[in-house]
Amino acid sequence: MTLLLLGLALGALAAAAAALPVHLRVPVSCLLVAGACVLAFLGAVAELRSGHVSTAHTAALLPMNGIELRLDPLAALFIATTAFVGFAAAIYSIGYAHGPLRSRTAVVSFALFVTSLLCVPAASSVATLLFAWEMMAVTSLLLLLAEHRRRAQALDAARWYGAMTQAGAAAILLGLLLLAAHSGGQDFTAIRAHAPSISIPIRSIAFVLVLLGFASKAGAVPLHVWLPRAHPEAPSPVSALMSGAMVSLGIYGIIRVGGDLLDGGVLWWWLVVLALGVVSALYGALHATASSDLKRLLAYSTIDSMGLVLIGVGAAGALRTTGHPHAATLSMVAALFFVVAHASFKGCLFLAAGAAERATGTRDLDRLGGLARPMAATTVLFCVAALAVIALPPFSGFAGEWLLLQGLLHGFSDTSTATVIALLVGVVALALAAGLTAVAFVKALGIGFLGRPRTQGAAEAREVAPTMRLAMGILALPCLLLGLVPGLVIPMVARAANAGFALPSASPVVPGAGLDLSGFNGAIEPALLAIAIVAGLGAIWMTLRVVANRATRRAEAWGSGREVQTARMQYTATAFGEPLQRVFTDVLRPDNDLEVTHAAESRFYTQAVTYSNRVDDAVERSLYRPVISALAWWGTVARRAQNGSVHRYLAFSFVALVIVLVVLA
Amino acid sequence: MTATVSTVHVWSGIAISVVQVIALVLGAPLALGLMAKVRARVEGRVGAPIRQPLLDLRKLLTKERVHAEHASAALPIVPFVVAASVVVAVAISPLISTSPALSESADLLVVVSLLLAGSVALAIGGLDTGTAFGGMGASRAMTIGALAEPALLVAVVALAIQAGSTNLPAIVAGTLAHPAWAASPERLLALGALSIVVLAETGRLPVDNPSTHLELTMIHEAMVLEYAGPDLALVTVGQAMRLGLLVALIANLFFPWGVATSFSPAAIAIGLVALGLKVTVIVVVIALVEVRTAKLRLFRVPELLAGGFVLAVLAVVTGLVTR
Amino acid sequence: MTLYLEVLEIAAGAVLVCAVVTLWRRDVRAIVTILAVQGVCLGIVAGDLAIHQRDLALGATALLVLAAKGLVVPLLLRRVLRKDPRSRETTPLVNIPASLVAAAALIVLSYVVSSKIIALDPSPATRLVPLGVATVLVGYFLLVTRQRTVSQIVGLLVVDNGIALVTFLVTSGVPLIVELGASLDVLLVVVVLQVLATSLGSRFGSFELDELTELHD
Repeated sequence: MTLLLLGLALGALAAAAAALPVHLRVPVSCLLVAGACVLAFLGAVAELRSGHVSTAHTAALLPMNGIELRLDPLAALFIATTAFVGFAAAIYSIGYAHGPLRSRTAVVSFALFVTSLLCVPAASSVATLLFAWEMMAVTSLLLLLAEHRRRAQALDAARWYGAMTQAGAAAILLGLLLLAAHSGGQDFTAIRAHAPSISIPIRSIAFVLVLLGFASKAGAVPLHVWLPRAHPEAPSPVSALMSGAMVSLGIYGIIRVGGDLLDGGVLWWWLVVLALGVVSALYGALHATASSDLKRLLAYSTIDSMGLVLIGVGAAGALRTTGHPHAATLSMVAALFFVVAHASFKGCLFLAAGAAERATGTRDLDRLGGLARPMAATTVLFCVAALAVIALPPFSGFAGEWLLLQGLLHGFSDTSTATVIALLVGVVALALAAGLTAVAFVKALGIGFLGRPRTQGAAEAREVAPTMRLAMGILALPCLLLGLVPGLVIPMVARAANAGFALPSASPVVPGAGLDLSGFNGAIEPALLAIAIVAGLGAIWMTLRVVANRATRRAEAWGSGREVQTARMQYTATAFGEPLQRVFTDVLRPDNDLEVTHAAESRFYTQAVTYSNRVDDAVERSLYRPVISALAWWGTVARRAQNGSVHRYLAFSFVALVIVLVVLA
Repeated sequence: MTATVSTVHVWSGIAISVVQVIALVLGAPLALGLMAKVRARVEGRVGAPIRQPLLDLRKLLTKERVHAEHASAALPIVPFVVAASVVVAVAISPLISTSPALSESADLLVVVSLLLAGSVALAIGGLDTGTAFGGMGASRAMTIGALAEPALLVAVVALAIQAGSTNLPAIVAGTLAHPAWAASPERLLALGALSIVVLAETGRLPVDNPSTHLELTMIHEAMVLEYAGPDLALVTVGQAMRLGLLVALIANLFFPWGVATSFSPAAIAIGLVALGLKVTVIVVVIALVEVRTAKLRLFRVPELLAGGFVLAVLAVVTGLVTR
Repeated sequence: MTLYLEVLEIAAGAVLVCAVVTLWRRDVRAIVTILAVQGVCLGIVAGDLAIHQRDLALGATALLVLAAKGLVVPLLLRRVLRKDPRSRETTPLVNIPASLVAAAALIVLSYVVSSKIIALDPSPATRLVPLGVATVLVGYFLLVTRQRTVSQIVGLLVVDNGIALVTFLVTSGVPLIVELGASLDVLLVVVVLQVLATSLGSRFGSFELDELTELHD
């Protein structure tokens, strides 16, 4: 706990570093933030290894209620993940920050953003949680506007983000206050103690309210609409933090309230969570394949990954409620492992996308390409993280997906029909999302980074600053490490899972480097597999050196006998995703526009052809726009009540006063 | 499930894996040659000799490598990744015996992911060439792969629910111990679903025509246009071994009789012969099916894969119902 | 597992698989053939139950089902098809991959719904009831989403086959007289529809129900 408190203090100090002159501001502040993250990480890992719960309390910062902090393994896991991503993001910012990102507002916001992210999991009372939550929301909103304040899309994104975050926070507040009102105190310990005595309907209402807020933060469809707008517009280190750390806090909230405070609750809660996960995974993966904006693709992929985590959490909760604690533990460990793996690979992907954007000036995949030679390090690191997302062995995503599948599979021995069907739907979602994610990331890597540059901007790309590359490397390391020796972190993840759901303390995985399920029949040893793959590569290479011709030459690529092939003849990202777009056209409803300009002389000759293809967010178009138009309509109608007459306004207040008196009487 | 293996077991396992790899490196091109021969005979031609693919590979090894001039360093690595991923998958799968090296990690999901690694590598190589054909092949191949995933994984789950594990040797041993499983409706439905998936994943008719010369009709071929010499040899043998592995896995998961369960040389020999027989039968059946079908339009392939998906879901539900 | 159970499971599963394949294929002639196969499988289910229970009446029912659903009805439908030159379902109301995904969802739904029925009498035969319910739902889906008249008739017949399957599994056979009555009913429906379709075709030049949108005098 002391290390965490020191870390938080250092974070606050980093905010104060904004007082320094311009060229010192960013490096000093970022280094202090990095130091804060290191301290928090060490404190969290110590907590995960020991398993003791420690608390801290101060009445100083918040009037009336004071700050209550409690560090248990579940909180420690999320703090460790956040600290790791924060450390890399801070290092990245040193090289990335320029112009508007060096302003005092931006520096203070960044430091406070990271500090609040570290504070939320440790919060142990309603007031502390909401204080940290609101600080997180406000600072991230300011950071969202930091780089492109004048751009219309950035303002739009900020509006959506602000509105939805506030609505989510209001829902969370309502839910938690409902629980606090029935528990005689807003302290989490009090709520935990009184929860079994609260009636099920009240608990369900509270859970649903809290779920709305936290699921929106985690990017669950249909409350995800802010994510694909906000992530592309934010500066890259902030996007990495939002995707790697902030959305995981939504998951943390669901586990904390549903699993820990309300002690598991009712079956239908977790089936709803699973259903949200299924829809999010499929929706996110599908829209990722249809996006040609690199960061929007990554944002949708975050929705997809969080959907998979929600499937795991839902399955764990459901299996625990129906009395299968061992299978539940496995699903929960899978979900939390995925959270950790996701933080590192998604963070690395966003940082690399930011590097590409900084080097070429655009994030449109249709305008990128050919970055492999000028930006070799960025390309390799993006490739490592992309292979982790696609869940190929021996990377971390594969271990996570294997655990998740095993968790769902071994729950099939359950007798409740609803759970079994939910698990089957979960498997289907996992499979289709995995396939679609592979398409999306082959597109991002192959079209964005490989091949030939499609525009002048891409052709003039240069490798980015060393601090940015270092940060990407730091985040790419766990993609490999967690994949090769997942057994290293599994005991800590298992402790966190048990703290979240009060499950039996036996780890579902036998201690060791690989993943060997205890109690179920299943195991993989990714390290040995990696050795086998390397041995295979080596054997093939040596055989070819002996047996085959070693000569190599360069020649022009095959173009059906054409003489000159230009870079514009390559496939674009829109073209790559087009077959899938056609298969799922009823879901995506793309906007296609084809304009043919004929030559002046005759209609039979074409001068130019313009084709545009736009895939809007389906939920936004079909759910939010009608609601917003309805609200706008209501606004215009209500305006008739305000005609400027002073008498009418006085009459309003008089009538309101009379009504209140009548009600009180 | 912890396995305490002695050094003898480890070395025997490695020996079995080596035998499996060599058997497939030589046998898979022969299987392709057999398929071409069967098709030729049925169509009234004489056809090339069965060992023609092996002769082609030998010829390719003597030619020089040609790299596309605008490609990056990724392109030369791709053939090695394709070949290595399928070699490792072959080495750990229970093809001749239930205990090759690393058989505790011989999980269905591991094999599926290793094959996916090969496809992803080929697609990335196709995009790296900087040509329109590479992109086209990559786009189509990844789309078909993505749509085949649900059918594949749900069929895997159907098998795993019955056997209690996704570990391949466990499923094989389970079927050997309970012969009645082989005729159960869920197995037959899973077999149907997996057959469709195998046709899609290995690029055979009716999903893709492996002998087409028209670039606009290519799916897999378009991605490998830019490889020459030993690179093309690696990619070709990788693709052949992929087909061989999937066919051998279907043979051993659904009709495991003949697979060696001990380390004795006699059992290994029987396992090898049994594998050869089963693969020959299945390959001849595929060739006969190919003669009678025409290639589907690209946008009719999702219909085929959706049908496979329904069969797989049916397999799981039937399994739950008849438990 | 006994041979009786194995044959029962495979035949009942085959009935449902035939229903799904009718949703999958576009060629109307192939759909009629698959309907014949489904009738044969249904006959095998009834015959297997008859042999297991040594029930002569049920055996006669099985033969009746084989004859009526496996031979006569498909023959009648083929007569209708011979008059119609177009034999492919080119534009179903719901496209084929979506219909197949819907079929998967309906199969899962029937599994959930039937668990209550199974709980009443958990014998090995009753446990296969979800397959029959799923056949009914898939047949209904076919009826609703296809545009060719013959496809819609096939959908109706699949629904009837599904109901028959459920009846056989749950009550292990119906009296011969009831099955006779039901088969005659279905035969009558098919004959009437055949006559209707032929006269529609000769009068309006089209077999498409959707093209008939106006009432004439």
